[in-house]
Amino acid sequence: MTENQKIKGSQILLETLIAEGVDTIFGYPGGSIMPVYDQMYDYGDRLRHILVRHEQGAIHAAQGYARAKGFPGTVIVTSGPGATNVITGVADAMVDSTPVVVIAGQVSTNLLGTDAFQETDLIGMTNPITKWSYQIRRPEDIAWAVSRAYYIASTGRPGPVVLDFTKDAQVGLAEYKYEKCRFIRSYVPVPSVSENEVEKIARLLDRSERPFVLYGQGIIHSGAEKELLAVLEKGDIPAGSTLLGLSVLPSDDPHFKGMLGMHGSIASNVMSQKADLILAVGMRFDDRVTGNLSTYCKYAKIIHIDIDPSEIGKNVPVDLGVVGDAKDVLGRLARRMARIERREWLESDRHCNEVEYEKVIVPETRPGQGTINPGEVVATVAEVSGNDAVILTDVGQNQMLGARYSRFIRSRSFISSGGLGTMGFGIPAAIGAKVAVPDRKVCLFVGDGGFQMTVQELGTIMQEQVGVKIVLLNNNWLGNVRQWQELFFGERYSQTRMVNPDFELLSQAYGIGHALVEKREDLRPAVERMFADDKPFILDVHITEENMVFPMVPPGKSVSEIMLNATEWYR
Amino acid sequence: MENENHYIITAYTENQVGLLSTVAGMFTRRSINIDTLRVYPSGIPGVHKFVVKTTTTPDKVRSIALNMEKKVDVIKAFWYVDNEDIYKEVEDVTSYLKERENSINK
Repeated sequence: MTENQKIKGSQILLETLIAEGVDTIFGYPGGSIMPVYDQMYDYGDRLRHILVRHEQGAIHAAQGYARAKGFPGTVIVTSGPGATNVITGVADAMVDSTPVVVIAGQVSTNLLGTDAFQETDLIGMTNPITKWSYQIRRPEDIAWAVSRAYYIASTGRPGPVVLDFTKDAQVGLAEYKYEKCRFIRSYVPVPSVSENEVEKIARLLDRSERPFVLYGQGIIHSGAEKELLAVLEKGDIPAGSTLLGLSVLPSDDPHFKGMLGMHGSIASNVMSQKADLILAVGMRFDDRVTGNLSTYCKYAKIIHIDIDPSEIGKNVPVDLGVVGDAKDVLGRLARRMARIERREWLESDRHCNEVEYEKVIVPETRPGQGTINPGEVVATVAEVSGNDAVILTDVGQNQMLGARYSRFIRSRSFISSGGLGTMGFGIPAAIGAKVAVPDRKVCLFVGDGGFQMTVQELGTIMQEQVGVKIVLLNNNWLGNVRQWQELFFGERYSQTRMVNPDFELLSQAYGIGHALVEKREDLRPAVERMFADDKPFILDVHITEENMVFPMVPPGKSVSEIMLNATEWYR
Repeated sequence: MENENHYIITAYTENQVGLLSTVAGMFTRRSINIDTLRVYPSGIPGVHKFVVKTTTTPDKVRSIALNMEKKVDVIKAFWYVDNEDIYKEVEDVTSYLKERENSINK
């Protein structure tokens, strides 16, 4: 081979990204990644690079992109602080099973371990919070490592991959030899499920009088929406969703009983306690879903289907654990299970719904007088958008209300930071989602606290004219912590009051459309104006300051002990 | 602590830089001591072996072994109460690897 057949490592990287199907990169340049950015100068027609304002913005945008599109998000940052700034998002992607590939610059191999400028042990730091992390030290390894990264990030239980890319590997020369990774001998992404196991599930299900399905984001990853619905329809089985599973079933489907857990629907929590069989699919029994474990689903047989063997029996002892792909297992289950009518059980949530409607939903979404409630805003957005926007939330009350009062008609329409609960996730993730699915409306609910954690990304929105609709639920409080202080800490409001800037001036500074809503009659027209075009917009709604999210299963309580408001409990 | 037992965890792995620290981190996170540790090339060419002796509860040993196996570079992990015999293990891994290598040609 002659020298002129060889190309630079940085070019091998970009060629491999294109071969893997990457079209968008979220990133920020810096010293140790400059050869890659130099190469990018010639690739502008094939790779869209979105320049964020802080590396945390890049990783959350990549997460939003991945969740909206179902394809790994790609991040390129520099070494040292560039790399450490993405770590929160990497941890978030790990716990929420989001496929992202982070390519971080690193100092040259000969400087490793010398405390060189902007050197940091990224592999050491990210090892426990990645599916795979690897240091690329030779240009010959780039195509192999990058293809492997996308394979690992997107298969099995998805997750983040970090590639630590030394500068000498970026500038070194090698032949470009790309081969798509389809096999790693030490990695089994999708364990196979025997017909016998499916038969066992079917038999348990057929014998059950009150089965209840708990599903999570695994259904979305697996593309098992239809198969899930087929199982529910065939057996008249009600189902509750985790936070990240929302939008899998249409909100008006009769089998859908709402969100599970702390701020979930009364029906889904009560039914999970009354069931004699729990069929959990693609979810991990998070403590926010189960409440007190010692009283959780005590009288039910529990079947757990998940692609990750380490999830089976982790929090809740199971009677039958099945490790496999949800689409495959549910598809076969739907064919094997008996058609059984369970109308009475399916519709037994009437009392729960009546109480929730009267005591929680009406006071929250239609108070009629006084200041505007955040739930009202969410419900108005849902209505005006035809229930068909991709809804994102930040973390806190805005998240729980966004989850509770948004309505969905198709999957991949709800994106939120679940397991890690990362405030500041909202704005950048919304940017990523809109870039991924530009034809859809993308709407973010964010509080005044989380808004200011990544507010710098308004600059990215301005530069790229990303048409995200930001609904700022502004109460001048860190609302969720304030709620806990009121309920559980004797109304001692320690460090939760916020003095905020003039968000209108801020919007003007970034050239982003803005409307301030303080009166109820202005809300709907302002939401209509917001959705009138595809441009970025900030809707600043001044909401009830002391508003609290209900129903609520207080921490440490059983999921059937539900607060309806500060003084009443569900009976 | 109640319910604690001596366990042996064995894992067959690829020879990757940093894997030892990843494995050690799994014990640290659950605040479990490693009683003894050996890492060495196994009888299978190109495959390394971890043998970790530890004292903990059944839940935690299971969680560590399954999370070890979840790591991309770990081929198989097993755990035993330290009086069980483990002679069959090497044979198992050899045939497992053959099966994996063959599956690519299917």
